[in-house]
Amino acid sequence: MSEQVSRRDFLKLAGLGAATTAVLTGCGPASRYVVREPYQQMPEYNLVGQSTYYATTCRECAAGCGLIVRTYQGRAIKVEGNPNHPLNLGKTCARGQATLHGLYNPDRVTDPIMKNARGGFAGTNINWDDAVQAVADALKNNQPNEIAFLIGTASDHVFDLLTDLSKTTGVNAPIRFGAMNMLESRATLSKAAENLFGQAGMPWFDVANAQAVFSFGANFLETWLSPLSYTRGFANFRKATETKLRGRMVQFEARMSATGAKADEWISLRPGTEALVALAIGRLVAEKKGIAVPRIFSGVEPLEVAAQADVKLEALEHLAEMFATSNAVAIPGGPALGQSNGLAVAEAVLALNALVNNFGKEGGVYLSALAPNQSEYHRPASAQEMQSFVERMNSGGIKVLFVHGVNPVFEAPNSLGFKEALSNVGQVISFAVFPDETALEADYVLPDHHGLEGWGYQRVGTGVSLPVLSGAQPVVSPYYNTRSTVDVFIAAAKLAGGKFANALPYADEVEFLQNKISALRGEAGGSFSAIDDEAFMASFQQFGGWWKNTNALTAPDSASVLNQSIKTQVKDAEFAGEGEFFFVPFMSPTLGEAGANKPWLQELPDPTTTVMWTTWVEINPETAHHLHLENDEVVRVISEAGEIEVPVYIYPAIRPDTVAIPFGQGHTAYGRYAENRGVNPFDLLGKHLNEAGDLAFAGMKVRIEKTGKTKPVSRNESTMGVYGEALGEEH
Amino acid sequence: MTYGKKETEKKQEHHDHHGHTEEHFKEKHLMLDPLPRGVMNDMVMEAVTEKPSWKWWTTVFVLSAVVVYCLIYSWYRLIAEGVGIAGVNRPSYWGIFLVNTVFWIGISHAGTFISAILRVFKAEFRRPFTRVAELMTTFGLVQAGFSIFMHMGRVWLAYWLMPYPNQRMLWPNFHSPLSWDLLAITTYLLSSTMYLFLPLIPDLAMARDKTTGWRKNFYRILALGFRGTEGEWTHLRNAMNIFAFAIIPVMFSVHTIVSWDFAAATRPGWNSTIFGPYFVIGALHSGMGAAVVVLAAVRKFIKNMDYFIRAEHFDAIGKLMLIISMGWAYFFFNDYMVQWYGGDKWTKQLLHFHEAGPLGWMWFAMLIVNIAIPWAILWNPKWRSTPWLVSTVGILINVGMWFERYIIIPISLTINRMPFTWRMYTPGIEIPLGIGTLVLFILLYVIFSKLIPMIPVWEVQEGQMAHQLKKFGRETVVQVSELE
Amino acid sequence: MTTLSDLKISEVKLAAEEGGKWGMVIDQDICTGCQACVAACSMENNIPFVGEEDSGYGRAMHWIRIERFWEGEYPEVKMTNQQPMMCQQCGSAPCEPVCPAFATVHSQAEELNLQVYNRCVGTRYCANNCPYQVRTFNWRDYERPEPLPNQFNPDVTVRRRGVMEKCTFCIQRIHKANDKAKSEGREVMDGEFTTACAQACPSNAITFGRVDKKDTLVYNMMHHGQSHGKKHLEELGTLPNITYLNGGGA
Repeated sequence: MSEQVSRRDFLKLAGLGAATTAVLTGCGPASRYVVREPYQQMPEYNLVGQSTYYATTCRECAAGCGLIVRTYQGRAIKVEGNPNHPLNLGKTCARGQATLHGLYNPDRVTDPIMKNARGGFAGTNINWDDAVQAVADALKNNQPNEIAFLIGTASDHVFDLLTDLSKTTGVNAPIRFGAMNMLESRATLSKAAENLFGQAGMPWFDVANAQAVFSFGANFLETWLSPLSYTRGFANFRKATETKLRGRMVQFEARMSATGAKADEWISLRPGTEALVALAIGRLVAEKKGIAVPRIFSGVEPLEVAAQADVKLEALEHLAEMFATSNAVAIPGGPALGQSNGLAVAEAVLALNALVNNFGKEGGVYLSALAPNQSEYHRPASAQEMQSFVERMNSGGIKVLFVHGVNPVFEAPNSLGFKEALSNVGQVISFAVFPDETALEADYVLPDHHGLEGWGYQRVGTGVSLPVLSGAQPVVSPYYNTRSTVDVFIAAAKLAGGKFANALPYADEVEFLQNKISALRGEAGGSFSAIDDEAFMASFQQFGGWWKNTNALTAPDSASVLNQSIKTQVKDAEFAGEGEFFFVPFMSPTLGEAGANKPWLQELPDPTTTVMWTTWVEINPETAHHLHLENDEVVRVISEAGEIEVPVYIYPAIRPDTVAIPFGQGHTAYGRYAENRGVNPFDLLGKHLNEAGDLAFAGMKVRIEKTGKTKPVSRNESTMGVYGEALGEEH
Repeated sequence: MTYGKKETEKKQEHHDHHGHTEEHFKEKHLMLDPLPRGVMNDMVMEAVTEKPSWKWWTTVFVLSAVVVYCLIYSWYRLIAEGVGIAGVNRPSYWGIFLVNTVFWIGISHAGTFISAILRVFKAEFRRPFTRVAELMTTFGLVQAGFSIFMHMGRVWLAYWLMPYPNQRMLWPNFHSPLSWDLLAITTYLLSSTMYLFLPLIPDLAMARDKTTGWRKNFYRILALGFRGTEGEWTHLRNAMNIFAFAIIPVMFSVHTIVSWDFAAATRPGWNSTIFGPYFVIGALHSGMGAAVVVLAAVRKFIKNMDYFIRAEHFDAIGKLMLIISMGWAYFFFNDYMVQWYGGDKWTKQLLHFHEAGPLGWMWFAMLIVNIAIPWAILWNPKWRSTPWLVSTVGILINVGMWFERYIIIPISLTINRMPFTWRMYTPGIEIPLGIGTLVLFILLYVIFSKLIPMIPVWEVQEGQMAHQLKKFGRETVVQVSELE
Repeated sequence: MTTLSDLKISEVKLAAEEGGKWGMVIDQDICTGCQACVAACSMENNIPFVGEEDSGYGRAMHWIRIERFWEGEYPEVKMTNQQPMMCQQCGSAPCEPVCPAFATVHSQAEELNLQVYNRCVGTRYCANNCPYQVRTFNWRDYERPEPLPNQFNPDVTVRRRGVMEKCTFCIQRIHKANDKAKSEGREVMDGEFTTACAQACPSNAITFGRVDKKDTLVYNMMHHGQSHGKKHLEELGTLPNITYLNGGGA
């Protein structure tokens, strides 16, 4: 609330907002520092007994959903979706809802710490001046190219700040990483787009208007890219209206995800054969349509593919019929791409879309719009890029590493050797909000505000037809002695002087943000306009971002797609290791990569298995029977890269030759609710890559050994009522 | 001076010349084996007033220690930490606490049954053991009350269930079977206590006259100045008669109402119209079983009691047990069949779960100990006159009846119309608390055996006065004259 | 001569006649089981989390749970449509008559099934008698270490151990909307507000609103479309106020 807005004006505004669903207020640039004050001197917009609502952006994942946070007497009470935000239209996922359990988590880093040693949190609480000095020293006393930044995907303004810093000072450009992106195989998808369309980027699939959706491993209802927007699309796709029928959905995957569970047909093909199946369907579609089989599909023989993929030929023909006769879209994603031939899978599936010519059409494939202040598509680091970064650390090429918004010690597979590589880095400075595993290995922990306490913005990468820059503002005053990382860098750059000071010539974070978004004020067709920068900034916060009102999706160029052969020949997928089971790690939809410390997320039942608070390994009932395994029996899952012990969950919808383990638990730090709970399936992953440089996380084979131990797995479901366990033979 | 077995034997020797048949009658029947009034009074009072042995003290100490830990400490924990430390969950919101409540109410049934029904029907064999049985009613109800209070989530607000005038005009919900239950149990507790007390008055007066010191004061106060005049006796008899008749419907209603807690609910397996009589007969089954155990214990552990409690009494109760067992079997079958015939899919699932579920063994065990074993043993007069054997059967029947309640409550609660929530129940702190109630029950007997006469001497004397042996030719015949 | 309508029998309303005031329609065909409603409900209503052991023992306190079953065997296995299950706000609720303390009662103003926390003594009879098994009990005082309680919703009572609770249809929101409408001299409009679960639901599978008028969204969804809505366990005469759609009707 700027100083110019009087209390009376505010109330008017509040009344206006309340007439819709929520009151949107914005903090103007004048109130950039939120100060804790006793309630005798309550800020004028804080009325006893009245809630105040702030628009901001969710930072639980990188999708960038808009939130409205209800605050009451300085406390954040409830998170709701921002109904005006184009990405989520007022909806939230479970993780967004639980973000308050991050804000008020009992295990946050409360003060900046200079640690006694790595591997523990013991150290001295320092004041922020010393902390900023330490950052300044780190910047100043090292060669620029020995300074590196590793940041998460959910803080675009931090990325922009560090990119600016790197552009003029020669420090390394920030590397972005996240386990979620790894399991989404983003690099593969964008590489496939580049190969086929000549343009890298995130394709966007218009599920809502399609009549048939063929998803090859893309778990778009749970975790993939932008689950909220895809779920909304799915709901519209499913509902019959006067003009369209209820959409039909086919899911190809070895382990039934929640997306597979909603599908009308779930095809449990053999992992590694997704590309062949896609090509075979393409060939059959072409034959059904009576057109010449395009080159890209000509190399496969459906009968052979059916045998290889463990699918009936009739099924393939029936699917091809469906694909050919309805307005269909095919989506590649997830574990289908995380294999040695993942790029071929992505290309083959995208080519299916070209065959029915749905590029740029309703219910078809588009390329996502660039966000308002984005000039080119940028994707997070692939595993290959992380590997080379780890190599640089190991070679001593990195003297200072700043880590923000990501927990690579936990999120990157052990086999990448990130944790070991840290020992070759002279100084590690973490800006972690929570005492996570990476902060444990740092020399300084300089806690950033929690997402709801800080400023920022997030570009909406995909999931919406409009270019959207989602704005974040503090909804409550910082609870602890934390400081915005951007402010720390700006202050440290000043202290470091010279080119650093020149690179970041801002008074503080708000000025930096204003500087970044002021360019948008001039653009036409925006969601709002303003007379000056300050008013623009105020509106930006108030509305929770700025977006264009016009569809900016682009149609990929499909002309040449069908005539090329897949660049990387479809090879059989290679599987690393000796075991008899394919291994599918998947992202826990309730926990995500960083939700394990939020107690209510822990207590949410997993959508497919209803398990709470722990990790499990999913095994087909028949396999379990052969191996004499029971529910809750702890088994040792062994791959070439490692082994973990995990209790069995007999899962009826998984291939008998496949086991699956969710990712999200297995923390060794990260607060009381996360610590020593469950296991991390990434310990089983090797460092095999696919052609696009993504980790072939689904390309492992594992074997299973009994341990003789049991661990009761907490489930919300009843094993008796749902599986007839212990009910006698009749059920 | 001691009046024990020797004395009795001596008398028997003395009467030897009357011939075998008469001796036989006397040995068998208390009513035909009279002792002088004073002697009998002394025998009973000796058992009460004799200085307790170290065994008695040890027993009291051990039992008290168990009560302190199992009942007091565990209950404290239950209140302080919440019912979470018990095993109740969804869907088994009710567990062993209610099993115990129903169980103890069942036990308390037999006391009144023996006393009131047999008094009304003038069954002579009842005379020596009405007191022991009536005590069972009162002590059992104490345990039932404890168990139901343990069950409550906020027991400190239990008084809200009582209809008391209050400023906010809040009343309990009289639609709720639990409210009916509370009223029924309270009525039963009050009336059975009165009914215990009335026949006690002449014995207390007798005790007052035979003791000194604190006991004299104790008995004087309790005896309410009873002197044994004709007028007092008339009043007392009238009062006892009224109570004996009135308490019978109360007794039936209590367990019927307990059954309504279940029968009035909308649950498969509970919603059964036959539950009322089924519960009453079940209560009698366990109650008779318990009575015979108590009787055997009294006979074994309390001095001079083998004169009063004889094989004939076990024989008589054994017959009752056999008949009740048959009745229980009938009602069990009836209930099962009606539910099965109903054809409701959830009930069907539940009945199947009873037999084939993880606790199916309990269902079969219940049938064996409630039906097969009593039928196999109690048909034989010799066996059913053997105290240890009948009391073993009594214990088994009680185990079986406890199983029955366990099957009706937590096991049946496992199955509902929402299969997603089905879940087994594993007891937690219910176990020590359950043991606590059982031990308190025993402890009360042990303590009361040193406070009040365990045998209603006046009633025995009254019976003996009415019985005579007469000889007709070579036949010895029992003659009973109408009293009053 | 007495006619049927003279008899008390006529007072037994058929489910179709019994409206209730607030109702909900849940489209199971588009529910993805994502648990957003569960999280939203817990955040709105100060529901405690119970930890690993208790949650695995049937003591999780979710006011709304998403049920799902399986049909068939691999590879023809199919997960049944997810079924969010919460208090159905029965018009004739089996939980109400059995409470000895009047802690669960029918409100005449909202036509909802209320749970009066501070009147509850914890006999748990209501939960036994609920055919939907949607009542949750505070088995313990579940720990919420500081500063987690900062998040508490001041409009919702924080319950202590020994108390039963259940979905309230976010009655605090109903009251707020009522108060507002009253102060503005009008009736609450359909869609003016919604419950936490419906508000969060990413697929819009949950719709909340008035059912006592024919022109409301929920009423229309209940009575229109290819497949008529089904009420759960309606045969028990509970007159539930939640309608489940299962066939992809509009």
